[in-house]
Amino acid sequence: MEHTAVAEHHGGGTKEVIKVTIILSVLTVIELALGFAMMGMEQGSSLKLAIKGTIVILMLAKAFYIVGYFMHLKHEVKNLIMTIVVPLLLFVWFITAFLFEGNSFKHLKNTYDPYKKELSTKKAEKKEETKEIKTEEKKKAVE
Amino acid sequence: MSNEAALHHSVDVSTSHDTHGDGHMHHHHETFITKYVFSQDHKMIAKQFLITGMVWAVLGGLMSVLFRLQLGYPDSHFYWLEDILGKWWVKDGQITPEAYYALVTTHGTVLVFFVLTAGLSGTFANFLIPLQIGARDMASPFMNMLSYWFFFAASCVMLSSMFVETGPFSGGWTAYPPLSALGSASPGSKTGMDLWIVAMALFVVSSLLGGLNYIATILNMRTKGMSMTRLPLTIWALFFTAVLGVLSFPVLLSGFILLIFDRNFGTSFYLSDIFINGVGALPNEGGSAILFQHLFWFLGHPEVYIILLPAMGMVSEILSVNSRKPIFGYMAMIGSLFAIAILAFLVWAHHMFVTGLNPFLGSVFVLLTLLIAVPSAIKVFNWLTTLWRGNIRFTPAMMFAIGFVSLFISGGLTGIWLGNSALDIHLHDTYFVIAHFHIVMGVASMFGMFAGIYHWYPKMYGKHLNNTLGFIHFWITIAGAYLIFWPMHYEGLAGMPRRYYDYSNWESFKQFIDLNRFISTVAMIVFATQLLFLFNFFYSIFKGRKVTSRNPWQSNTLEWTTPIHPGHGNWVGEIPEVYRWPYDYGKDGVDFIPQTTPVGEEESHH
Amino acid sequence: MSTTTTAVPEKLWSGGKSPFKVEYGKLMMWYFLMSDAFTFGAFLIAYGTTRFATNGWPNPNEVFKSYPFAGENSHAPLVFVSIMTFILIISSVTMVLAVQAGQQMNKNKVVINLILTILGGAAFLSCQAWEWTHLFHEGAWWGRNPFMNADGTQSTTGFTNFFFTITGFHGFHVFSGVIINIVMLIMTLTDKFEKRGHYLMIEKAGLYWHFVDLVWVFVFTCFYLI
Repeated sequence: MEHTAVAEHHGGGTKEVIKVTIILSVLTVIELALGFAMMGMEQGSSLKLAIKGTIVILMLAKAFYIVGYFMHLKHEVKNLIMTIVVPLLLFVWFITAFLFEGNSFKHLKNTYDPYKKELSTKKAEKKEETKEIKTEEKKKAVE
Repeated sequence: MSNEAALHHSVDVSTSHDTHGDGHMHHHHETFITKYVFSQDHKMIAKQFLITGMVWAVLGGLMSVLFRLQLGYPDSHFYWLEDILGKWWVKDGQITPEAYYALVTTHGTVLVFFVLTAGLSGTFANFLIPLQIGARDMASPFMNMLSYWFFFAASCVMLSSMFVETGPFSGGWTAYPPLSALGSASPGSKTGMDLWIVAMALFVVSSLLGGLNYIATILNMRTKGMSMTRLPLTIWALFFTAVLGVLSFPVLLSGFILLIFDRNFGTSFYLSDIFINGVGALPNEGGSAILFQHLFWFLGHPEVYIILLPAMGMVSEILSVNSRKPIFGYMAMIGSLFAIAILAFLVWAHHMFVTGLNPFLGSVFVLLTLLIAVPSAIKVFNWLTTLWRGNIRFTPAMMFAIGFVSLFISGGLTGIWLGNSALDIHLHDTYFVIAHFHIVMGVASMFGMFAGIYHWYPKMYGKHLNNTLGFIHFWITIAGAYLIFWPMHYEGLAGMPRRYYDYSNWESFKQFIDLNRFISTVAMIVFATQLLFLFNFFYSIFKGRKVTSRNPWQSNTLEWTTPIHPGHGNWVGEIPEVYRWPYDYGKDGVDFIPQTTPVGEEESHH
Repeated sequence: MSTTTTAVPEKLWSGGKSPFKVEYGKLMMWYFLMSDAFTFGAFLIAYGTTRFATNGWPNPNEVFKSYPFAGENSHAPLVFVSIMTFILIISSVTMVLAVQAGQQMNKNKVVINLILTILGGAAFLSCQAWEWTHLFHEGAWWGRNPFMNADGTQSTTGFTNFFFTITGFHGFHVFSGVIINIVMLIMTLTDKFEKRGHYLMIEKAGLYWHFVDLVWVFVFTCFYLI
């Protein structure tokens, strides 16, 4: 690992840049294609969720190419790579705990605040009117 | 190839910087401004941090005396206070409720951030990192200077918030919305909160500038032979402190930015379903106040280790030097520092067990929280075994270091109680919590700071502090700390909540009137004793006993190889090379072997 | 740590030099970007948490469906934002080329590529300005959300609040990146780097610029795609 890091300190030159540019463009085009494919699908269907998951993976792949080649991290000394990548693992628990908590918050609200739940199922016809109704209802509820 | 060449070139610059000063230090023309005000010398910046921190410690301590006055003597009238503080703070000889909450809030903010973060790690990271790793100065002296001046600006803004018409922020140092997000919620949430948040944003910038500098310096600027495993434990502790700060303060900044939008731009990140008396129902929908708590404690929990780790590092060093014994379990100490630093990021929600946190998630947080007991216990055992059968020299620094260990044990044990989500239902927001975190984080870190000041004062000013005053300071402070916070455990177990203005109105808490009066009295005595320390500090700068030898404590680390009054650049001539770890005390019958001594052929291996 | 020290023949960690073979400025830039990653991470995670905690959410394809000079009723989701994305990727590429030219001490090439990068940044900012103006005229702003949830129910203002805050914060980063690049351009034109003998400053500016691009990858995915 070490000797390649020294030898390739300047990366693979223009060739590598072109290669990475093409990879990033292709990944973006695939993401966009998936985005278009997703449009007609029903909310919350499992296929849609799977596509969303794929998009997240593609996003991480893009991040890898930007950090690794454009920001040159792949050609740095291994220890430097570790000091930068390892702390980012903190994001795993950061994201998991926060999203889990957000989801649980939604369930709590839907279970113990039926008024909210009812509101969230009401179709909105015209924006201004509903807002007025809502504040009126709220005032009543407070009284 | 030019890049590589440039890299070596820049390295060359720094080495030639070392050599061309041989024989004498650089004699730049230093004016008063460049030497004492906008100084780029890490030692001067450290002193600036220390003295600013001391000013804040006095103010913050004074605030606690004032609100303890209210808690201990709720029925008395102190008309003379009205003359000093004015009508907003004291009415009819009593602290007003608004002032009481403002005092509690500012006491917390100031002590946690300005004294124990900037004053402690700012001082000793700046002072010790270049001296102990063998560097001329920080990686970027200019950014280091900026770091102090951002802190100074933050201090000015925070201080100015004390004088606005509606009073300083009074919603607790954690600044939970909606109290902090809505100006109409309380008087302190108006201009006071704006100033509070500006001061905190400046503080985050200061701590980031400082932290990046500390990390880059420790990694890049070590002298020849100073491998990572030859670093004194102080440096390891300060390194992890800086890492914690760099990774967690940005999250607080994000949380604050969202809070600013909620306050000023009509968003509802943290607001939902709010009715304010006199204002009516607010249109804000869809936010969650708990989100702020998550973001806040994602910083807030690492923050307690940002406060504690430098104290741990300094205590390790001082215990070893004054026991004339190598530190026990050097690698285990580093390992446990590392484990604490990691776990610090994984446990934030244990501050939020009763917010309606999902119980399953809560149980994971309980597990992770209790895991911290393992590295903490390792550290405690290592400190105790370092002391075991040592030739202990009871200097004031040593006394404070031992006091730190004592406080860390007694405060840490209650942490195991509080880390359990089931027990926390009863103990949350009671005086039990107050007692726990004041002992383990507040007073213990103050003890670490005092130990550091007593130990490195000769290096800072070339004078000794008065020992007798030091011992008086130590004994009254440790006795006082236990007398103040030990009884609070009982109050907390009895369910006495924190942040109440007057407990004598409650039948169930009336029994504690005498106890509260006792605590308040001790708090005042302890506060007065700190003034004794301040006198000792400033008197000794001018009139203290002069340091006559370079190495007054017979210590191994590099800072004692510099001249008694080191100039900017620290070493005269070459920076010394390092050949061994810093804890060769009592090895092969030799009392101490400095790090700069080459390893002899007949020396035993450790 | 000691095991890695002994394993590496060169003794990277033994002191007296950088264990990473980089100067301190680059190291600080990397760690600054790490901390900035946590700033953006916290924003995006807060956004995700709020979205998970809310019953409905507007469909981005219904919100971002227009582009400049299009008619009132244009329906072209993802088109404009993909242009923005490509602008940023290309400006990142020109930045890499500027850094490489700097390593070869090729001043003219540095100047050309820096100018292209600055233009790319300015183009991105213009696109963002247009998009914000367009949304503002549709009634969207901090605290105001004219869009309904995907299922036709009344939505909260969370969507617009987070959208404007996070893209605004990202736009602020792009803006400061453009300023930094302009400073680099001036320093290059006045031969500051030639005199120093190296273009290391441009490498650091490049790191910052790529980071801005990196953040956009995440913002783009989180707001426009999923």
